[in-house]
Amino acid sequence: MSRGETIVAVATPPGKGGIGVVRVSGPATPDIGRALLGSLPQPRYARYADFRGADGQIIDTGLALFFKAPRSFTGEDVLELHGHGGPVVLDMLVEAVLDQGARLARPGEFSERAFLNDKIDLSQAEAIADLIDSVSREAVRGALRSMQGAFSERVGEISEAVLNLRIFVEAAIDFPEEEIDFLADDRVTASIEDIATRLDHIVGEAGQGALLREGFTLAIVGRPNAGKSSIMNCLTGADSSIVTAVPGTTRDVVREVIQIEGMPIRVVDTAGIRVSSDEIEVEGIRRAIGEAQRADQVLVVVDLSEHVGDWRAVVADVLNQLERGDICTVVLNKVDLVQTPDLELSSNVIAVSARTGEGMDLLRKRLASVAGLSDNVEGLYLARRRHLDALERAGRAVSEGRRQLAASGAGELLAEELRQCHQALCEITGEVTSDDLLGKIFSSFCIGK
Amino acid sequence: MQSMAETERFDVVIVGGGHAGTEAALAAARSGARTLLLTQNIETLGQMSCNPAIGGIGKSHLVKEVDAMGGAMAKAADSAGIHFRTLNARKGPAVRATRAQADRALYRQAIRSQVDNQQNLVLFQGTVEDLVVDGERVTGVVTQMGLTFRAASVVLTVGTFLGGVIHVGFDKQQGGRAGDAPSNRLAQRLRELPFKVDRLKTGTPPRIDGKTVDFSGLEAQPGDEPRPVMSFLGAPSDHPRQVSCHITHTSERTHDIIRGGLDRSPLFSGEIEGIGPRYCPSIEDKVVRFADKTSHQIFIEPEGLGTRELYPNGISTSLPYDVQIDLVRSIKGFERAHITRPGYAIEYDFFEPRDLRPTLETKHLAGLFFAGQINGTTGYEEAAAQGLVAGINAARQARSLEPWSPRRDEAYIGVLIDDLITLGTREPYRMFTSRAEYRLVLRQDNADRRLTPVGRELGLVDDVRWGRFSDKLERIESRRVALQHHLCRPGDAAVEALLSKPLSREHHLADLLKRPEVHIESLLSAVGLDWEDAVANEQVEIDFKYAGYIARQQEEIDRTRSRSEQVIPADTDFGAIKGLSNEVRQKLVQVEPTTIGQASRIPGMTPAAISLLLVHLKRGQQRKTA
Repeated sequence: MSRGETIVAVATPPGKGGIGVVRVSGPATPDIGRALLGSLPQPRYARYADFRGADGQIIDTGLALFFKAPRSFTGEDVLELHGHGGPVVLDMLVEAVLDQGARLARPGEFSERAFLNDKIDLSQAEAIADLIDSVSREAVRGALRSMQGAFSERVGEISEAVLNLRIFVEAAIDFPEEEIDFLADDRVTASIEDIATRLDHIVGEAGQGALLREGFTLAIVGRPNAGKSSIMNCLTGADSSIVTAVPGTTRDVVREVIQIEGMPIRVVDTAGIRVSSDEIEVEGIRRAIGEAQRADQVLVVVDLSEHVGDWRAVVADVLNQLERGDICTVVLNKVDLVQTPDLELSSNVIAVSARTGEGMDLLRKRLASVAGLSDNVEGLYLARRRHLDALERAGRAVSEGRRQLAASGAGELLAEELRQCHQALCEITGEVTSDDLLGKIFSSFCIGK
Repeated sequence: MQSMAETERFDVVIVGGGHAGTEAALAAARSGARTLLLTQNIETLGQMSCNPAIGGIGKSHLVKEVDAMGGAMAKAADSAGIHFRTLNARKGPAVRATRAQADRALYRQAIRSQVDNQQNLVLFQGTVEDLVVDGERVTGVVTQMGLTFRAASVVLTVGTFLGGVIHVGFDKQQGGRAGDAPSNRLAQRLRELPFKVDRLKTGTPPRIDGKTVDFSGLEAQPGDEPRPVMSFLGAPSDHPRQVSCHITHTSERTHDIIRGGLDRSPLFSGEIEGIGPRYCPSIEDKVVRFADKTSHQIFIEPEGLGTRELYPNGISTSLPYDVQIDLVRSIKGFERAHITRPGYAIEYDFFEPRDLRPTLETKHLAGLFFAGQINGTTGYEEAAAQGLVAGINAARQARSLEPWSPRRDEAYIGVLIDDLITLGTREPYRMFTSRAEYRLVLRQDNADRRLTPVGRELGLVDDVRWGRFSDKLERIESRRVALQHHLCRPGDAAVEALLSKPLSREHHLADLLKRPEVHIESLLSAVGLDWEDAVANEQVEIDFKYAGYIARQQEEIDRTRSRSEQVIPADTDFGAIKGLSNEVRQKLVQVEPTTIGQASRIPGMTPAAISLLLVHLKRGQQRKTA
């Protein structure tokens, strides 16, 4: 079966491996290969080559393999780029392929194509269906992680602004006799400007790394003197947090970046959460709660030596204040001080000792798992690349629409660009149909000749 | 059934003589099928029951598509149009539309004459009361008189006549349209079959005697010059005498009167349960929902050349007659107006359009097709478009030919049918250009280039139309080549004057034409080219100006075509697909999509769900071949 679209994805598990493989499949593969490598390698022969971006800069150097359809994994033309791994380099390679007109593969799409092109036999159909099902669920989770916090809110606001603008533009087109011709209206021009600026801004920030390269954020919370800073120091391997036996030592938020399997994880140590009359400490606690609410994962640290009997109540109390029970790992610290701990541990309850290092390996494994590093799924990077790609397309469309409106007052071309822009944003925020749009028009304007 | 008389056998029987029925009958007959058109009243063939206008935004797109395939509506509008306008004239060609006010009597005559002169088509006056069903197939219809007409396929186009109830205030009467009886026996019969039935509502304004209107203070709205035409074969010389429309407005006093009558409104008392169109609300609805608006626009449309009756477009109402009189007389120009027919709301049955195939054949009963308001649409143009498709496919099925229905990227007709059978509708469905994602490709000006070749293949386009079309294509092509080769050099005074700046280097005319400020007629006269046929010139200009966008939309269409056109076998068990959420599975079971493209447009479908569907289909296919 012939398929129109060319897809790309990182084929190796996320994280720092010896090599990282970017795989491309579809009819545009030969052109993409020539663009990145200068020329296409002979089919089925490995070639050592520079991988270059659209600007001609070398992104990485490694082995390139080309498989001609139908003799490939997917049954289509396939290109594999074996580079040096590392999420940032792999992401840049994916971006270079996207620049050549491919789109990001959906989770499981390579296997799906292989199956649909008779490269995988019937007995594996069940497994393929399961894979599509499970990885798409994981990808949704990954996308949600990438979407948390201020970024998501801002994309949502921009999408809303585009929808509102489209209401005006489409109403002017479909109801020209209703005295609602807004195309010449200054507000339309102003709104286009505003959307273009906001998209530029968010793409610019993301490109500089604030969005894409900050990785996964982990907030450490708990009551004062539970040993949060000691845990952080254990994870980072440096004395970045001041550790004393005096409760309330960490009054502000301390940030560090640790690496687990090559993936940067931002760790935020916070002030202990308790009722306090000290103004500075109160502010610290307020910030701690804020950090925890924005984080991808929360470590709730409990001093087991103090709360061996009632640690569940302590955890519940802390989570109650955070309202984030869904994404937490409970760390029972100071396990070395407890005689015979009879604890019901599970994957999200881990007993450690920051002092002796006991249990810290388990904690690192847990973090790798929650950051999506040990599962064979789309990692956070790809989820964010997807979002960034959509934002860039939205930005290009709105600039072109602005140009068309200015050049020829062409409302229908502006409308087309806004449709493209909105569609791209809706890939992040969820679908809006033409009937939704019409509904908004009818509720905003009195239409009815 | 007493004294059942058998009559001769037909390929296709069409029930209903409105805009869907006549277009269906003409299309079936044109394509060679022996066709019978059964109507309650031959005198009302082609009757415009609502406003006396054809076309409008999104709607003239449909009319011109029907015309491109040899249909009747556009030609009738040219014979009967007494006021023509081009809407969105200053916006781009993709969203430009044509609208004609039509003389009702002339329009009926034009349709009647096309029906009378159509080969293979016969008329019969009678009320259909029952279907003849053989197993899971319809094989004919039975009239009130007990006559049975056998046919290979039957098209039902019964509009608002099924279970129609007319409301004026709290007065209710049964009717299919003011003055006509409803088809209750047939409605009852259809309700016994496994179709899902629901209620919709629509309305009309009171009609007014023009002798009693004072036009002196009202704004006149003349038709456009140059005057547009509706049919690709039409010319302004086909048009009868032209007249103006007028514009007036409701006043604060009008709104007070309406508010005072709301306690006797069937709409607000809950008497009317059917859902009305959001884009065509009654005046009482507008006054309540947009309470801050102190005035609403009313277009006063003439009903025809031979009558003084007027259609005040914008004050559709089902308020009691005494309130209607007061509200009309509170409007400027209508102070002494006489109402000739009160406004009314009508509730009627429609059938869940998701029970239809893309050919408009019902899924429950083979050989039975539905077209028009029965499918939940509103508008003459939407009805005609469905009539065309149902007529074509009824005829093709009768003669064992492959079905045909247009894709969303081919025609607004495709958008209309796909929306109906995939999404269903909750209100009377009307076409808007914003429903078409390929709007820049689906223009009214290129409907013939999109559909006339298909129409010819299907046997719907006669030699006259085909000859005219082929000549036009040739002229477009020769102009395209000439514009790409004709060079303008720096120093060419006439061209530089047109551009109001000097040329920096040589340019082909085609490149200059891509500039938004350059128009073809002025460019041609600047370089001394005397090309007649403004229609062909316009096509070349649009082709060049829109080239980038057309190419992009075409690329988008091609990229997903192979996948979206993949057929889902009719025996697919959607309930057996693993991994889908219950919600998605239920929707698939309800819609029974026929292609992957249609499936992907069902609300709530995710790419992963489509992947699972593809894997499921592949598995079925491998089992069969194994």
